[in-house]
Amino acid sequence: MLLSFSLVALVAGGAQAQNKELVVGSSATYRPFAYESPTKEIVGYDVDIIKAVAQKAGLQIKIVNTPWTGIFAALNNGDVDLVISGVTINEKRKQSYDFTAPYFEARQLIGVNKDSTAKSLKDLAGKKVGVVTGSTGDDIASREFGKTSPDIKRFESTPVAISELANSGVDAVIGDNGVIAFRVQEHKQLKTVSDPNFPKEYFGIVVKQGNKALLDKLNAGLAAIKADGTYAKIYKTWFQSEAPVLPAQ
Amino acid sequence: MEPILWFGWFRADIIAEYAMMFWRGLQMTVLVTVICIIQGTALGLAIGLARLAEARHSPARQLCRYLLRWPSTVYVSFFRGTPLFVQILLIHFAVLPLFINPTDGLLIAGETARNLKQNYGAFISGVIALTLNSGAYISEIFRAGIQSIDRGQIEASRSLGLSFARTMYHIVLPQAFRRMLPPLGNNAIALLKDSSLISAIGLAELAYAARTVAGAYSRYWEPYLSISFMYWTLTLGLAWAIKRLEARYGRGDTR
Repeated sequence: MLLSFSLVALVAGGAQAQNKELVVGSSATYRPFAYESPTKEIVGYDVDIIKAVAQKAGLQIKIVNTPWTGIFAALNNGDVDLVISGVTINEKRKQSYDFTAPYFEARQLIGVNKDSTAKSLKDLAGKKVGVVTGSTGDDIASREFGKTSPDIKRFESTPVAISELANSGVDAVIGDNGVIAFRVQEHKQLKTVSDPNFPKEYFGIVVKQGNKALLDKLNAGLAAIKADGTYAKIYKTWFQSEAPVLPAQ
Repeated sequence: MEPILWFGWFRADIIAEYAMMFWRGLQMTVLVTVICIIQGTALGLAIGLARLAEARHSPARQLCRYLLRWPSTVYVSFFRGTPLFVQILLIHFAVLPLFINPTDGLLIAGETARNLKQNYGAFISGVIALTLNSGAYISEIFRAGIQSIDRGQIEASRSLGLSFARTMYHIVLPQAFRRMLPPLGNNAIALLKDSSLISAIGLAELAYAARTVAGAYSRYWEPYLSISFMYWTLTLGLAWAIKRLEARYGRGDTR
């Protein structure tokens, strides 16, 4: 009796694992990568990419809006199975998580007022700099001006940081190129500054460390959409320019 | 810095690395709380009295009704009826830029406005929002406290020739204050905790420090447990102070 019960449970569990809907975490305050449409649907470049990848890899996915500050915690405790949310691949994160091949080439970009004379990060010394908590921009600013510097002002999302810039609450905002460029063109009085010293970086899809099965499927799907032109099409839709050639690893 | 592990899992070195930020954050939290308690109580008293304003003859009667009772009722209803978080964002990103703005601020413009916004913008907005919000709650405490004092006392005092203000000051408020202390204490503790919401607009207080650390290391136990203990210590201190006050003002009751 007990045995038959556990057998049923086993079979049911197995069947569930097979078509299990994977939960994708994405912070939908990151237009144009991921944002909520008026109908509460999460849309954007990241969303189109992960949908295309999932289709090629034969994965069922459900996208859940997960606030950026808790996104890695959600991955750690299993609330989400993977994260696609403009996550920059870096050494520190690689120690704790596994990344797919890159799906976006990112640089950091500085947003400032039109009358600003700043040409690079160095010129922002002594000025108030807005960043998104825990982002690459935060990393860069922390390294340059000191982790506990009161000149660094941390915000929950890029739009909030840009609003603060537009209201003169900060002198500059450092953030990912795609988002900063998009937000700055919404405000007439702002412009972007590109520091040539900022390194080229890449966005990758994140999974829990050691989840090789899922990582392989995602990489295969990503390679497939890059090969058949789906990737280039999605890129063009969102960034109005040709997709750059990305490294395979 | 070498990882320092407490009990095998608590990375104490992370907290040590950001010690300065936590310390300044703690000071900021205390500062905001103290300012808001003082201003909120003053505002609450004014609003509470305005809600009780009454006069027998016109035009004072209409004046009380339309200039004091109605506006204060709407005010209390709005600030109690909308989330504090929304009020903070509304004041910081919408209302304050109207008044303090380098290009066309109604109150302050030009370079002063820029400096003010950059150095104290989040502080000003946060204190305004929290003061207005707690003022609404505190006014209700005052109103209830004042109304709990038997009307006969006011009538007796007035018939002895004391003015309304003196009746309030000498007769009603001292008694009401004693009854108001417990809810006022509750409110002060709530205010202390609510100040963490101001971190959303970039005020470097305790919650901001924790968020910064969590963002930098993707570790959550260390920063949030640390600030939990700091908040807890602060609220325990507040509770103790209130208890002392209650004992002091309650002396008359236990003869």
